[in-house]
Amino acid sequence: MVGKRILVIDNGSYECRVGWSDSKEPELRFRNVLTKPRKDRKKEASQQGSAEGSSAAAAVETPAEIQVGNDITNIEAVRAHLKSPFERNVITNWNHQEQIFDYIFTKMGFEGQERIDHPIVLTEALANPNFCRQQMSELLFECYGVPALSYGIDALYSWEHHQQKQKKIADALILSFGYSTTHVIPVLNGKLQLEHVRRLNVGGYHIITYLFRLMQMKYPVHLNAITISRMEKLVHEHCHIAVDYKEELVKWAQMDYYDEHIMKIQLPYNAVTATNALLTAEQKQEKRRELAHRLLEIKNRREREKLREDEQQLFVYNKLRQLYEQKKLDKFERALQQQQIGTLEDLDSLIATINLRIKRAHDRAQSAPRPSKQQEKLDKMPKPPEGVSQADWLAELHSKREQLLGRKQARQQQRSEMAKRHTHAAQERMRIISSLAKSEKRRKANGEEEDDGFGMNDNDWDVYKRINRYNDDSDSDADNEQLLEFEKILNHYDANFDDGNSNAQAQSAAENYQLHFGVEDIRVPEILFQPSMIGCSEAGLAELIAFVLKLFPAGEQQRLVDHVYLTGGCAQFRGLKERLTKELLEMRPFQSTFAIYESDEPTLSAWLGACMLAREPNFGKTLFTRQDHQEHGSEFFREHRASNLFYPTPKD
Amino acid sequence: MEANSTKPKRSFKRPFAFPKNCVYRPLRQISNMERNLKLPAERPTYFTLNAPPSLVPAKKYSDISGLPAPYADPHTKLRFANADEYASMQHMPSDIINGYLTVRGYTSAVG
Repeated sequence: MVGKRILVIDNGSYECRVGWSDSKEPELRFRNVLTKPRKDRKKEASQQGSAEGSSAAAAVETPAEIQVGNDITNIEAVRAHLKSPFERNVITNWNHQEQIFDYIFTKMGFEGQERIDHPIVLTEALANPNFCRQQMSELLFECYGVPALSYGIDALYSWEHHQQKQKKIADALILSFGYSTTHVIPVLNGKLQLEHVRRLNVGGYHIITYLFRLMQMKYPVHLNAITISRMEKLVHEHCHIAVDYKEELVKWAQMDYYDEHIMKIQLPYNAVTATNALLTAEQKQEKRRELAHRLLEIKNRREREKLREDEQQLFVYNKLRQLYEQKKLDKFERALQQQQIGTLEDLDSLIATINLRIKRAHDRAQSAPRPSKQQEKLDKMPKPPEGVSQADWLAELHSKREQLLGRKQARQQQRSEMAKRHTHAAQERMRIISSLAKSEKRRKANGEEEDDGFGMNDNDWDVYKRINRYNDDSDSDADNEQLLEFEKILNHYDANFDDGNSNAQAQSAAENYQLHFGVEDIRVPEILFQPSMIGCSEAGLAELIAFVLKLFPAGEQQRLVDHVYLTGGCAQFRGLKERLTKELLEMRPFQSTFAIYESDEPTLSAWLGACMLAREPNFGKTLFTRQDHQEHGSEFFREHRASNLFYPTPKD
Repeated sequence: MEANSTKPKRSFKRPFAFPKNCVYRPLRQISNMERNLKLPAERPTYFTLNAPPSLVPAKKYSDISGLPAPYADPHTKLRFANADEYASMQHMPSDIINGYLTVRGYTSAVG
């Protein structure tokens, strides 16, 4: 065992980092996901492979059917099929984990060796269930033939790495911000206080998904352009944690502040399609006319060809006819057979039809070209009635249109009022309904079918129109039709008529492809402190810290807060330290002290710390071998400074 | 390297397979397994480390803009901060309204 290089794997639910313990940084980093392309695509890929004659070795190195981590070329294309071995921060799917290990060991150059003949240091979840650890050990020992293993917790490895520069610190409160969970970890006298650790099940994943959903709902038009990858980038680069969330929100509510600080994200936008949309109506008409002209030409050419063919045919038939008239009968018979014509009568009728066809074609060519559709449309356009000047007519149409619009608006108003109780309209409606019901009751009491005269008058039925909540069917349909008709006419005759729809198009088209990213930059990471924003009932980070501290006596509380340590990917949010300073100031006794330290390698420190421990002389004591595994049971592992505590599952 | 096998075989692996029922076990099942063990109450497990429920009343924010929301629309149940937002809500399709509600974790009593 001694002298062998040690492989360190920081198996995080977001990213996996793999490297030798004696290197400065991990050799391999990849997103801890895999995807199985659909069957049809697989087939395509294999066909392509054979066509290009790729070597078998290459095919083995990157198996076509499953892509892992960095082998996924376009992660957005397979987003829906991405698989992860993790559920929260615990590994639950061992098939997927096996694929991940295959990928790791292949990339690390173990291909061709009989087994993985190196000890492995592997990170696991805090308080990883025994079942999961058992499976992991079994997989590594039995499937890959690993000689020895050591498990540890990423946050504690990171803490070890942090201590390297500082003097040895015995007590700390570690805040570990992961992709799927956030941990508050108290450490006293260098020992993990496992029973007082608390885990908030909110992390980077939730932050990204929250932004994704918000943006999709804010811009339903750009549903497809809003991708997880883009949202990830926004979260990584532009989100920060507000020191005073409420105060920031008040600022954002002011229009001036909004205009000054809003970030506009330009989505990819295809200028080609836009120019098409930007063409004026005139240009469009011009294009259409050109197209029609070209089509007409093609048709004419085809007709001319047909005409020429017919003329040739006619010439032949006429010659035949001449043969008959010149009494060269046997020659005539032979020619008829050649042309597959039965008798003289058939020949005559053929000549007649062709003659007719030619005549018709000539007629068509001579007659004036048919009026274009454009002209027809113009003819169809209503004209001002006799005796009324165009200006007066248009003015009348304008006023009619205004009237219709007014009616439409009134209907809308009425509808919205009907929807609510306590408005006059709704109460009126209820009154009519109840009076109608009352009259019915009276009839029933009589026992006889006594007609109350309802329906004798056609106007009686209007009562239903008045009480119908959505009474815009029949009336408004007719109105809408008329409105459209008016607008068409006005558009045609009145140059400066504006129906209110064309305004939107005037704006720059590229601007329509912008996302406004304002409050979101603080709103999204705020869910760490207020999980209720995404419907999570768990206590937010600040509340959770207070909760964990209360589990300790006052003296130990002070020892813990004297060294608060932030690590993990989400610890990189700007403003996190300031926010925590504010929160701790609020929850700690007046004039007491505390200190917050940030990891200088938030994402990498866990791996670096694990390497550090692996280089220590007594590292061998933290390893357990395959033999231990067989002797002490499959869930056995050796405890060390940065590991979980071993609680064997009780046997009955 | 056996080229005839469909799965690319790796030389560093040995024939190994988990029992069928162990390949994938969701967290919920693992939780049930641990509960059935009747561990001593003070023993910390993955599932006892969950954060406690929040005792602070949840603050109300507008579903649309995220600003503090003093109002809620009784009709759609959406929260809003000002009249402009209310006006924009009136023309919102129901799927977006529902989307906002689910993001916030709102479930109606009717279901």
